Amino acid sequence: MEINLSKITLRPYRISDVDDFLMYGGGNEKVTRFTRWNTFTSKQEVVSYINDYCIPHPYCRSICIDNRSIGFVIIMPRSGDDQCRADVGYALAAEYWGHGITTRAVKMAISGGLKEFPDVVRFQGLVELENKASQRVLEKVGFLKECVLRKYSFNKGETRDMVMYSLLSTDFMP
Amino acid sequence: MEGGGNEFTGEITLRPLELSDIDDFMVWATDEKVTRFCSWEPYTNKEDAINFINTKVIPHPWFRAICLNGQPIGAISVTKNSGNDKCRGELGYVLGSNYWGRGIATKAVKQVANTIFVEWPHLERLEAIVDVENPGSQRVLEKAGFQREGILRKYMLLKGKTRDLVMFSLLSSDPKS
Repeated sequence: MEINLSKITLRPYRISDVDDFLMYGGGNEKVTRFTRWNTFTSKQEVVSYINDYCIPHPYCRSICIDNRSIGFVIIMPRSGDDQCRADVGYALAAEYWGHGITTRAVKMAISGGLKEFPDVVRFQGLVELENKASQRVLEKVGFLKECVLRKYSFNKGETRDMVMYSLLSTDFMP
Repeated sequence: MEGGGNEFTGEITLRPLELSDIDDFMVWATDEKVTRFCSWEPYTNKEDAINFINTKVIPHPWFRAICLNGQPIGAISVTKNSGNDKCRGELGYVLGSNYWGRGIATKAVKQVANTIFVEWPHLERLEAIVDVENPGSQRVLEKAGFQREGILRKYMLLKGKTRDLVMFSLLSSDPKS
């Protein structure tokens, strides 16, 4: 499959994305293996997720090819004394892995995040130690691997070592 | 932290902090040397301190006075998380500046490390983040057996300025120091 990366766009989610969302969030455990959310099992679950989480979110975008949703990227700024930093998260349909799409989407999202959240100087990504593909995405975007946080959090029933990556607004090259 | 390498002469114990400790609390809480790397400014009146003890200390999941021969000279606490973050808790501590440099904070941290994993069986990771410019506090954690994991750049604001912080952790499975 040839992918022209200039065809990748980001836009807010719509309810009409439900079927496409179910394609990547619903059937494929490759995609959800390291995500905090479990595989979606019904249209209704996805509709609720889009309505209750994606649409009201400060920055949640569908990664699209020809305006069709093939994944998502989110930026979540913190508040109070933590407002200088924002967490980055993403997922992509498995059939589109390996073409640089997520890297491209994350770069686009960081550009968007810098405009939306002027107080944020640090973007960070926490990736499970075993999730090498996701670590490569952040490295290609220009994130710096800072450290391994041992037994940092639970996911799917086990405590996990997480790798902390960060990108400072001063480091970023779109 | 300054001061000689003398070991303290006296017993260090931890116990809940009470309203009756207010005068001892004011000794460290009004000291700007102590609050330099804290998120809060020195206290200027007893009313604010009483309010803090009532609203933050008494309901806290785990907050103790660090006592020397029974008298509070500082405080130490562990935050509790929920959901997927239940396996980790964050350690924080303050000590009156007259007592720095004698191994007291290290002793208090070790006492917490020896009890918290037993009191909270769901806890696997005790972590602490320390300003890069606070080597005294970094040494406390190193001496208490914590592992230095790395530096988090521009991680938080301290009194309005972004700071680089060092992340330390101690696991329930780490050897006792």
